[in-house]
Amino acid sequence: MAIQIEVGQRGLTDPKLQQIISDAVPDEPLEKNRKMNYFVKPRGRRLSEYEILCCYTQPTPDWIPGGLDWGDWTQKFHGGRPSWGNETTEMHSTDWHKHRDPDKRWHAIYVKDKAEEWRYTQRFLKQYSGDGQIRTMDPVWRDEVLNDYLGAFCFSEYGLFNSHSSASRDCLGDTLRMSIAMIGLDKVDNAQMIQLERTFLAKLVPGFPESTDEPKKEWTTGSIYKGARETVEDIWQATYDWNEILWSGHMVYDAIFGQFVRREFFLRLSSYYSDNLTPFFINQMQLYHSQTKGITSDMFFYCLADDPEFGDYNRRLMRMWTDKWLPRTVNALKDFMGIFTKIPEIDHVTTQDAIEKALTRVFDDWAEDYAAKIDYKADTAAMVKTVLSGLK
Amino acid sequence: MAISAATKAATDALAVNRAPTSVNAQEVHRWLQSFTWDFDKNRTKYPTKYKMANDTKEQFKLIAKEYARMESVKDERQFGSLQDVLTRVDAANKVHPKWNETMKVISNFLEVGEYNAIAATGMLWDSASAPEQKNGYLAQTLDEIRHTNQCGYVNYYFTKHGQDAAGHNDARRTRTIGPLWKGMKRVFSDGFISGDAVECSINLQLVGEACFTNPLIVAVTEWAAANGDEITPTVFLSIETDELRHMANGYQTIVSIANDEAASKYLNTDLNNAFWTQQKYFTPVLGMMFEYGSHFKVEPWVKTWNRWVYEDWGGIWIGRLGKYGVESPRSLRDAKVDAYWAHHDLFLLAYALWPTGFFRLTLPTAEEADWFEENYPGWHEHYGKIYEEWRARGCEDPNSGFIPLMWFIENNHPIYIDRVSQVPFCPSLCKGASTLRVHEYNGKKNTFSDDWGERMWLAEPERYECQNMFEQYAGRELSEVIAELQGVRSDGKTLIAQPHTNKDGKMWTLDDIKALDCVFSDPVDAL
Repeated sequence: MAIQIEVGQRGLTDPKLQQIISDAVPDEPLEKNRKMNYFVKPRGRRLSEYEILCCYTQPTPDWIPGGLDWGDWTQKFHGGRPSWGNETTEMHSTDWHKHRDPDKRWHAIYVKDKAEEWRYTQRFLKQYSGDGQIRTMDPVWRDEVLNDYLGAFCFSEYGLFNSHSSASRDCLGDTLRMSIAMIGLDKVDNAQMIQLERTFLAKLVPGFPESTDEPKKEWTTGSIYKGARETVEDIWQATYDWNEILWSGHMVYDAIFGQFVRREFFLRLSSYYSDNLTPFFINQMQLYHSQTKGITSDMFFYCLADDPEFGDYNRRLMRMWTDKWLPRTVNALKDFMGIFTKIPEIDHVTTQDAIEKALTRVFDDWAEDYAAKIDYKADTAAMVKTVLSGLK
Repeated sequence: MAISAATKAATDALAVNRAPTSVNAQEVHRWLQSFTWDFDKNRTKYPTKYKMANDTKEQFKLIAKEYARMESVKDERQFGSLQDVLTRVDAANKVHPKWNETMKVISNFLEVGEYNAIAATGMLWDSASAPEQKNGYLAQTLDEIRHTNQCGYVNYYFTKHGQDAAGHNDARRTRTIGPLWKGMKRVFSDGFISGDAVECSINLQLVGEACFTNPLIVAVTEWAAANGDEITPTVFLSIETDELRHMANGYQTIVSIANDEAASKYLNTDLNNAFWTQQKYFTPVLGMMFEYGSHFKVEPWVKTWNRWVYEDWGGIWIGRLGKYGVESPRSLRDAKVDAYWAHHDLFLLAYALWPTGFFRLTLPTAEEADWFEENYPGWHEHYGKIYEEWRARGCEDPNSGFIPLMWFIENNHPIYIDRVSQVPFCPSLCKGASTLRVHEYNGKKNTFSDDWGERMWLAEPERYECQNMFEQYAGRELSEVIAELQGVRSDGKTLIAQPHTNKDGKMWTLDDIKALDCVFSDPVDAL
């Protein structure tokens, strides 16, 4: 039997080739340990498929804590800056490979979920339009609020999305990198869903402007998103520490401003204006927010705040970063209060009493879910009061 | 609150419009380019000497959800095949043992490339200013996570179902021991992520993906199938379906800088350096994996190389970019010379250092020796005789007390490592073009094997300071190094690496290696 095969011959299906292969294969497996990545410490009781496929894919040397390789980088940036380096963040860790996505999403799981959401979205839109549900939506809410202000929020999500680019380049662990890229994609998905809703409305409502011109004008020159825009610009492009980018974006700005705009404004109010379209999209965004919260809470609280060696230092740093980003976020919300002059007033829904309750919910949630985890003393009542001073 | 006349008219019209409709991905994507805005601080964190145009488009026009749908469909097919029919036919145990070993290396090393490409495309996503161009890079970022997981899945599958799990089950830890690792990091890791962002794109997309993806991901499936492995084609061909988008991203990178003055000054030099960087490792390593890591042969590597690298890439693909001033790399001719003998030279060294691997290597059989001689006339006279001598001295048998590394020392054939490529070479023994050059810098001697790498180092020595395995291990005994870096099987004594795949052959243990009293030294000390 010649070892040079002919075109189309396959070792599995060609009987002559397979006979030679079978003769060479050991009678018994040579190795008993059939668990890949057996040396990895599992987060749960046993190693998950997610941990098998993701952990230690990053080839960092051991002087970046947690790395399994040795030595220097084989090629560096011009001037000698390392490929990855501890100096890219002020945070310290004893193991940059410790993070786990609580939902254990490797790529196939992640895209499967999103693909299902996309298929259902398309079926939903056909049902919504065929049912004629658009007929009951309040026209001012539709043409002014959704067009201009939901449209402008697209840019907030898009800016936050872009803040993940350098973080996905610079971070120091594999599970971190995959999580960061995925939560980044969720942010651009949010931006795209907002434009998708506007495009959909343009199909249903004659004259509804599909163009992004008006929302962009509102975002870049309007007063309602001024504080938000400036904060997003600084998170995206003026912040270099990849942990600070994630902290400021997810643990402060989006946890407060994003939550208020999505949950307490568009989601809460839409039903009062007979808008049952927007909640469909906002709830997808809220799902992503909750999944992201699980990821970032694991990164910052489980891994860094509770790091056996650097926990206290990391908590101090998180508190310092919160001091830096919280006032900007509060200011962004204060600016956003201007939106209540743009909508038809509904007593106890869009009036100050309801807004105060909504703000209190957001700040209390944040104080419990974020601030308390790093012993940050948050005066939520004072922050609510500051924000309410923005009401016209 | 009063409503405008236009709003009232639109609202009135709704009464008659109840046609079911939806929104497709393209209808959203066409607005993507307007998602950004100008602001003072808007600049990349990864400076490049090139200027990427603000209006660069992408070719694939995906939105996040449509991307997920497309990939999910491919995943269903792929994992369905793996978990269903291939498992039922016991496919992992119908792979030739030599190829089972080869996939320990190929799948894990490709995983490293895919993993680093996540970071590389993250950098490009940051560097591009046009939202569509960012979107193209973003889709690739996600693809690279997919490919990282897929490559891991190949090792995972062979671990779970195959004939020799050792090496498959811990490649991410044991890969760092041997002589192939650091060179792999240069091309697949640091070369993608450390440098001018466009230079990294050229390394990753224009050379790594457009040039070496075909031999690496497509040709490997032919060699795999020939040797009974249907697992690898199932996964790698699914990976390849994404690679076209990555090649398009590389093409768009060039389009985006085509009108920039810097392109006419630097682009061809960057391309030449990237090509040489990539080929310096891939040309010998892929050739070695295919021809020495298989039983059944598809075609001589030199022919594959000539078709994919020289003609398709150097001629057609680069030719298409000619209108943007891109020229075929000047080093292409020298690479073509390497494509003939370099992989044979490398196997000599890899086999000599076999105890540091995480896989089993096999000397060519008599039948294979004939194949080599027929396809590479002169092979037997140079290489075949050496292998005959090693075999006669019992290099496969632990009782022989002989590993081929001893033969190199006895015959005064020092093995050096090229500082830039990290590829080992033996100037006194190689039949390829490598020659020894030495430069001292900051009190350290650096060895090089070719003009192109030497020139890169002379221009920017601070970029290539990585110590090599001989420097790292100098003065340490071989079995001690292997034990420390976890190169043993689950019994705690048998090496993962072995110098044969003979099912009746005896396996080497740490004690067998210790008995050799082989202590590493750095050959540059003698220069």
